[in-house]
Amino acid sequence: MSSSLRTRVVGHGRDRLPFDIDSVGLTGLLLVAPGAVLFLSFMLFPIAFLVYLSVTDATHAGTVLGGEASFVGLENYAELFTDPQFWQSFGITWLFLAVSLAIKVVLATGLAMVLTHARVLGKRFMRALVIVPMGFPAIFVITVWEGMFSGARYGPLNQMVGTYNSIVSGFAGVLDSLLFFVTISAPELLLADLPIQWLGGRWSAFAAYVITEVWLAYPFMVIIIVSALQDVPMDLHDAAKVDGAGYLRRFTNVTLPAIKRPVLFASILTAATSFQQFLIPFIFNGGGPSRQNELLILYGYREAIELHEYAFASAIMVTAIAFIGMFMWLAVKKGNLAEGIDSA
Amino acid sequence: MSRLTRYTTSIGRWTVRKLTWPQRAADAARLTIEQVRTGRRTVRDVAKTGVGTAGAAALLLILLFPVYWVFAASLSQGSGLMSSQGIFADPTSYNLEAYRWVLFESDFTYAAVNSLIVVSITVLVSMSVIIPGAYALSRREFLGRRGILYGYVLFTQVGAGLSIATLIALYALFVNLGLDNNLLVLGVFYAAGAIPFNTWLLKTFMDNIPVSYEEAAIVDGASQWQVIREIILPLSKPGIAVVVVFTFLAGWNEFVIAQTLLQSHNYTLSVELYALIAGGGYETPWTEFSAFAILFALPVAIIYFLAQSYVEDGLSFGGMSG
Repeated sequence: MSSSLRTRVVGHGRDRLPFDIDSVGLTGLLLVAPGAVLFLSFMLFPIAFLVYLSVTDATHAGTVLGGEASFVGLENYAELFTDPQFWQSFGITWLFLAVSLAIKVVLATGLAMVLTHARVLGKRFMRALVIVPMGFPAIFVITVWEGMFSGARYGPLNQMVGTYNSIVSGFAGVLDSLLFFVTISAPELLLADLPIQWLGGRWSAFAAYVITEVWLAYPFMVIIIVSALQDVPMDLHDAAKVDGAGYLRRFTNVTLPAIKRPVLFASILTAATSFQQFLIPFIFNGGGPSRQNELLILYGYREAIELHEYAFASAIMVTAIAFIGMFMWLAVKKGNLAEGIDSA
Repeated sequence: MSRLTRYTTSIGRWTVRKLTWPQRAADAARLTIEQVRTGRRTVRDVAKTGVGTAGAAALLLILLFPVYWVFAASLSQGSGLMSSQGIFADPTSYNLEAYRWVLFESDFTYAAVNSLIVVSITVLVSMSVIIPGAYALSRREFLGRRGILYGYVLFTQVGAGLSIATLIALYALFVNLGLDNNLLVLGVFYAAGAIPFNTWLLKTFMDNIPVSYEEAAIVDGASQWQVIREIILPLSKPGIAVVVVFTFLAGWNEFVIAQTLLQSHNYTLSVELYALIAGGGYETPWTEFSAFAILFALPVAIIYFLAQSYVEDGLSFGGMSG
């Protein structure tokens, strides 16, 4: 034991102090233990408790410890996987993840290329501005976006649509006075009915979720892609240009290979965050209309806190945690987590 | 004292550089005109740069429209940002009425005190375990070191939403133990959540302190405790400051758990902000909401960006490696 430990310590202990080499590291263990224990007691323990709850028939917070809950085996899971609301929620969560991820990657790549482009002046200043959304608390960003999507007649987005309407009908009016022999009015098809209840319709609410999620997460991607782009030597671009490569060829052969890995890693991380998105639907419209946009975590939360189906909700959360675990595994497989630890 | 003067001169130089940019822009413009006149640069070339810059600026303006909107709304009490006057309200009608309401008539100050209580507990509790933990992970070898590091990084990067997934179990436990609606418990809970990321961050800071300093001290007969107190802690001060900021923000910004656990007299700022928007029904008071939101978020956003730029510059620890 002691010899194997010794080789291990010597193996990657170049930065460790000499006098600590022969001990089991009791001091180190004692120093790191309080933090680890505090963290685990608020994390691992509740997860274990969730797993336990999910195999009982607890209904609300009061029965959970009161001894009134009894063991029911996997009944909750059986009920869950036959519940259409679960599949509805599960499907919309993945759709939300996929759509917002696609938009994030395209938007962030575009922004990063603009903000590293030689033709753009004031790049440092613009880069500082573009990551502004990152500094605000999530609750701030999401409530402000709820304001943008306000269904009131004079909500910001409705006002923009109103401006668009008046441009269309103004254009029709000009045509009308030019072509005096026919009467032209703006076609109904091109005009929007105001006010639009953005959060009242299923897909418009979904679009609102996606836009807000993209706004929350794009700065992180922009930062990662910009730093990847800055590592591409300018000579490479110039060489490609000399060889007669067009813009598209240079993008696929020079830019893309440089940003592929960072984008993949950033995608895994933001996809994991999107999968766990709770605040946006919770604040916008509670996952509505009529539970059609209830993302997975919100679904579990509502079943427990509002609908008093504690055990059932625990089964939902355990399922969600299993998927989060899958994301962790992906991040380990595809990311450079291990490198960061080994080099430290 | 000399350090103070050094800081002041460097801050002074920085300010001068930031304030004189119109001067430099004018110089650049003059140079460009000169180059075009003498034929060293074509008009076409200059126009391309102009269009590129304008395009990028336009893109940014569209992206940051919500930020403009919340500022404009907070200044437009009674002047109709949310009325027929349009989203670009007349700046001459701007007033501070909404801010006066937030500061003197709403529950803002009351909730701010609650937030500060929670946050100070979070900072105290988390720092008291983060500093020893980071030191041990940076300087000691012990059983399970790699495992703990791995777990911390993994949680930091992927599992941040786990706390909501586990929230219902915690909620049940807290209700049964009578610990819900308790600012102290909430503060400790946030502290626990802040441990992985911040321990990792402080550890990377400490990794950059050269081991030779400690070796020299040990040769001079310093005890382990003296090494920590005289070398590690003073040299980690900048890192500790950043970690304090991040743990502060963790408590200040959080909403979901506070909203679930707290009753109205214990509301923190984030929950109060939500109550403002959710309680109004169809008539959400957007101007008051905006003023509230800005007072809640702007100070911490500024602190965040200062700390963030510090992390980027500070991780290399300029001058320390020599």
